[in-house]
Amino acid sequence: DGKPPKFQPPPKPVIIDRKTQKEERRFLSPEFIPPRGRTDPLKYYIERKDMIQRRKVFNIPEFYVGHVLAVTTADPYASDKSNRFVGICIQRGGKGLGATFVLRNVIEDQGVEICYELYSPRIQAIEVLKLEKRLDENLMYLRDALPEYSTFDVNMKPVSRMDHEEIPVNKLQVRMKPKPWSKRWERPKYNIKGIKFELPEHKMKAAQKWSQPWLEFDLLREYDTSKIEEKIRKELREELEK
Amino acid sequence: MMPIWTKSGEKRAVTLLKVQDCHVLRYVSKEESGGKTAKLLVGGKNVSPFSKPESAHEIFKEAGVPRKQKVTTFNVTDNAIIKPGTPLYAAHFRPGQFVDVTAKTIGKGFQGVMKRWGFKGQPASHGQTKTHRRPGAISTNQAAKVYRGKKMPGKMGNIYRTSFGLKVWRINTKHDIIYVNGSVPGHTNCLVKVRDSKLPTYKDCNKNPPFPTFFADGDEKLPEDLFDEEIFQFTDPSVTYT
Repeated sequence: DGKPPKFQPPPKPVIIDRKTQKEERRFLSPEFIPPRGRTDPLKYYIERKDMIQRRKVFNIPEFYVGHVLAVTTADPYASDKSNRFVGICIQRGGKGLGATFVLRNVIEDQGVEICYELYSPRIQAIEVLKLEKRLDENLMYLRDALPEYSTFDVNMKPVSRMDHEEIPVNKLQVRMKPKPWSKRWERPKYNIKGIKFELPEHKMKAAQKWSQPWLEFDLLREYDTSKIEEKIRKELREELEK
Repeated sequence: MMPIWTKSGEKRAVTLLKVQDCHVLRYVSKEESGGKTAKLLVGGKNVSPFSKPESAHEIFKEAGVPRKQKVTTFNVTDNAIIKPGTPLYAAHFRPGQFVDVTAKTIGKGFQGVMKRWGFKGQPASHGQTKTHRRPGAISTNQAAKVYRGKKMPGKMGNIYRTSFGLKVWRINTKHDIIYVNGSVPGHTNCLVKVRDSKLPTYKDCNKNPPFPTFFADGDEKLPEDLFDEEIFQFTDPSVTYT
C-alpha cells in the first residue's frame, strides 16, 4: 500500500557473560545451610569455622547424589593401614560437622553400602571418578533395582571433565526387581522420577490415593534459604582466601 | 550438640554451653549461712529490670550489676572467695577437667505411669477390657494402705537434675563457650549450672586450674581456643595408623 512499512527496531544483542553465570552457579555444600530451629545462630557460626578449617587442610570436592566416588580411609586392622571403597553416592544427610554421605556398590554379588562422615579425620582422600547428577536427590531405590545399576568397577579410571561445563544429568530410568520392595517407591510421597515402573495401570492409579497435593502450598513448611546462602557464601569466600 | 574426634579417630558427642554475663553477687560466710562452707551467690544472663519490683533488685544494686535471670549458690572454701561484682568467664574451666552440670529437665506435663515410671502396662488384646496403660495393683492386702511415694501418674519433668563427671574437651575464650562431653539435662538454650565435679574418682584431676577464677584484666593472655591433649584439631592432617 501507499503507507511506508512499520518501523521494526533491530533485535537487541543478547550478552552472555560467562563469568557472572559461573558466580551464580557457585556450589554451596548442603551441610552448611543451618536447619530451621530455635538453636542460637552462634552455634552454627562456630561449627562453620571448624568446617572451613578442615576444608583448608583437606580438600572435599564438590559432589552430588549420583556421582561415583572413591574414598580412602585409615583402617587400623588392614595390612597397609588404609581402605579404599568405590561407590555411587545415594544419599547426603546431616548438617554441620556430622554431615554424612552413603556410597553403594555391588561386590561379588553382594550389595554393600557404607556411610562416611565428611569431616571425619580418618578419611584420607575423596576422589570423584564420574560426575553425573540423576533425576532424584535420594537414590535409596537402587536397593530394589536390578544389581547391574549399582555395580561399578573398583579400579575405574576418573572420567575427565572441563571446569566450566555444566554437570550432566543422567536421565536413566532404572528397572526394578519384582515386588515386594523395601519401600513403596510408586507412592507420590517419594516423588521418584528415575524408575521405569512396569506396574499395571490400576496399581499406579491406586498409589495416587496417598498423594497430598496441598503440601506444596503449605506456608508453614516454606524455608527460604536464599539470603542465608548468600551470607554463608560470602563468609566462605572470605575465609578461604585468607 | 556437636561431634568431635579424638587423635585415634574415635567420635564423641559434645554439648556447647555458653557463659553469658555471669557475675558474683554476694558473699555469705559460713556462720551466716549455717552450713559447713562459705557460699557465693552467682547470677547469670542479663534480663530486663522492669518485670520485677524494686525490692527484688537490691542484691544486684549492691553488686553493681544489671538484673540477672537466675541466681545460684556455690559452696566455696575460704581461700576461693571472690569479691562481689567480678565477672566470671568460660576460662575459669580448663580442658581435661571434669564437671557436673545441673539444669531443669524438659517438662512433659501430666503423664501416665508407663511414660513416667516405665511400667509395662497390659496386653492390647486377648480380652483386656479398657485396661492397656494402667498401673494395675497399687498395694497388697496385708498392708491395708498405699505406701507413701507409690509410683503413680503425675507431672513429669521440669525438675532439677545433674549429670555427673562430664569431661571438658575445649574452651573458646572469645565467645565464652565450654565444650562438655555427652548430653546435659534441659532443652536448647536453657539455663544451666556448671560446677567442679564432686565424684571421688575426679577429686585430684584439676592440675593448676585458674584459682580463685580467671580474671580478664590480669596479665594472662590466653589463645582463642584451648584444646584437650586427646582432641583432634582440624589444623592437623588426617589421622593415620602405624
